[in-house]
Amino acid sequence: MQVYKAFFKIILKNKLQIMIYIVVFLSIAIALANTYSTIINTNFTETKVNIAFISHDSQSKLVQGLRDYLSENSNIIDIPDETQKLQDALFHRKIEYIVRVPQGFTEGLMNGEPVKIERTAVPNSTSEIYLDSLINKYLNTAKMYSSSMGHLSEEQIISYVTYDLSQNIEVKLNNSADVTSKNENLIYYFNYLAYSLYAVLILGVSSVLMVFNDPDLKKRNLSSPMNLKSINFQLILGNLTFAVLVWFILILASFFMYGSYLLTAKGLLLLLNSFVFTFAVLSISYLIGNIVKSKGAMSAAANVVALGTSFISGVFVPQALLGKAVLKIASFTPNYWYITANNSIANIATFNMENLTPIFLNMFIVIGFAAAFLSVTMVFIKQTRMSN
Amino acid sequence: MVLHHYFYRLKCIVRDKQNMFWTLIFPIVLATLFNLAFSNLSSADNFSSIKIGIVDNEEYQSNTNFIQAMKSVSNSNQNGEENPLFDVQYTSKEEADQLLNNNKIAGYIYFDNGLQLVVKESGINQTIIKSFLDEYQQTSSTIMTIIITNPNVDVDNLISSVSNKTNYLKEVAVSKASPNNTVTYFYALMAMASLYGSFFGLNEVTAIQGNLSSQGARVNIAPTHKFKLFIAAMLAATTVHLFNIFVLLGYLTLILKVDFGSQLGFIALTCFIGTITGVSFGTFVSSFIKKGEGLKIGILIGITMVLSFMSGMMYDGMKYIISSNVPILGYLNPANLITDSFYALYYYSTHTQFFMDIILLCAFTVIFTVSTYLVLRRQQYASL
Repeated sequence: MQVYKAFFKIILKNKLQIMIYIVVFLSIAIALANTYSTIINTNFTETKVNIAFISHDSQSKLVQGLRDYLSENSNIIDIPDETQKLQDALFHRKIEYIVRVPQGFTEGLMNGEPVKIERTAVPNSTSEIYLDSLINKYLNTAKMYSSSMGHLSEEQIISYVTYDLSQNIEVKLNNSADVTSKNENLIYYFNYLAYSLYAVLILGVSSVLMVFNDPDLKKRNLSSPMNLKSINFQLILGNLTFAVLVWFILILASFFMYGSYLLTAKGLLLLLNSFVFTFAVLSISYLIGNIVKSKGAMSAAANVVALGTSFISGVFVPQALLGKAVLKIASFTPNYWYITANNSIANIATFNMENLTPIFLNMFIVIGFAAAFLSVTMVFIKQTRMSN
Repeated sequence: MVLHHYFYRLKCIVRDKQNMFWTLIFPIVLATLFNLAFSNLSSADNFSSIKIGIVDNEEYQSNTNFIQAMKSVSNSNQNGEENPLFDVQYTSKEEADQLLNNNKIAGYIYFDNGLQLVVKESGINQTIIKSFLDEYQQTSSTIMTIIITNPNVDVDNLISSVSNKTNYLKEVAVSKASPNNTVTYFYALMAMASLYGSFFGLNEVTAIQGNLSSQGARVNIAPTHKFKLFIAAMLAATTVHLFNIFVLLGYLTLILKVDFGSQLGFIALTCFIGTITGVSFGTFVSSFIKKGEGLKIGILIGITMVLSFMSGMMYDGMKYIISSNVPILGYLNPANLITDSFYALYYYSTHTQFFMDIILLCAFTVIFTVSTYLVLRRQQYASL
């Protein structure tokens, strides 16, 4: 098994470059998986928008009432009243709406003057429309009381308004799909895995193939007593071992992060899906390894292919946010089908044929890609051999 | 002599295809991918009419007030408003269930001994529907309370005040530019591209150090002062990379239409300082690390990636998380300083933050360059 051993000797020579990719991208995947947090949907919960509330009309009980009302229906975030801090928070969506009540607002409102609250929002956003309606609702109701009943103290108005605004209609949640937050983070982990797999496999496989494809070395190998079949067999075995090893190292971290969750049906499906995907990536790496001639071209190809296919197929940005045309192009890469399968696994509520068939279909398509790229590579190898 | 060396280095750099790929083509490819991926992202918060269903049964038909209220906010109103709150379909209960299951509507309204809302999941759109229906219920409650406690009230006046609601809000822009957070990705990309200038810096050090390349050995024999060689090399690398960065900037602003604001002079200044920081960063790493070139490149890529990640290239919130929790980390990160300069020019109305970033970048450049030179100077080799 000299060839098989040589395969791993070459990989070990390049371990540094490969390790850098594994470490850097794994840490990014872990960091990103931890930054997403989701809500568990078992009951209907109203979405609460993060807002900042600044009042210059500090004596007013009505403004305090409005603040209390808003604090029930949104999250009031404490941000110091400094332009730059507020700008930063709005830009990065720490808050989506800033309310600034001017001095003398309540007095003006009660006397029927055209006073206004200053507000800043993300333009044309849904949260803008929602919060506008909440604030206007509160103030209009207060205004109605003060104008039609007269002689009411601020406290009385507030208590009436609070009573009215506590009227709620009944909401029925039709489909109680139990989606847990942990699950969603796991999906991000497996989605990012696609990128690391690409980078590492392309680098590893190409660095070995470049050595074996070196014309002088090739001539020497061909004149050795070992027959070509055995050399090729050992090379293929080496590639397969390497791919499975990389897959194992990459999923290992997920066991530390998500533990026994991976052993549930969903976790196992995700593992199977990524395992199948590994072979498609291996097959693409094999093709690239046979085409590239220099180290520089190798890392260029690794980055462009890994980043390019990942970006358009929804590894970094959810597929739902990508344009239709982009996804059409993406469907010519195995990543697209891998990510789609991951997403459907995440959304599965019950395990039945109807839900599982599309997932397995996606896996078959990924296997199809593996076979297709492998045959293209075979043709390519044959042609270069004939032309030499 | 400096000029002579400068022109030869210029030629060498431009002919190095591999480095030109990483510093010129790769950022453009990445920018294109960002653009494909994020083209819909900024419109994700944009409001579009919420699709709802109303179960058209007897109880609904008898509720004329509600029909009236619904009309004023849905697509059937006659005002010809561009973006009504709701896009309504009138259906049977079964149809509504079907539509809801296929995500064709966000929820449906159903009268069954009172007003009911049926949804499939929690979300902002569902919350808005609920808020509207609540408001209907709440307004009814207000009118009831007023009529009961004050029977002398002018009912017509009351009803008219319900339908003519005052808008108590006034839009105040917080800054001159809209808070479009996708630009962060492109600014961070500019920062990454600037720091990729470090590959040039690395090559320049290799080319003038006797122990790193045979060319360096030859150059060292000549009586030219090392400082002159170093300055000429740095200048040549900066020239080429500045060209690359301007091509990228042109591609971003003219073809991809990324908004960089309008202060062209300051934007060019940021590119220039960023480029020098990148190149000197490369000379710094490559003069301090004595091991092979592969390791140096690996370290440069690794550091650049981590710094870009922390300035928001992979996830735009990262920059804010760092600057609001550990601000010092943001100031020690050259990639973040470059990103922040572009951000400050685009978004802030003052220049305090911008100049602070630029001064810190200059400080980094001086530290990198001086320490590189201190390592490079006066080296002698017993044997090569």
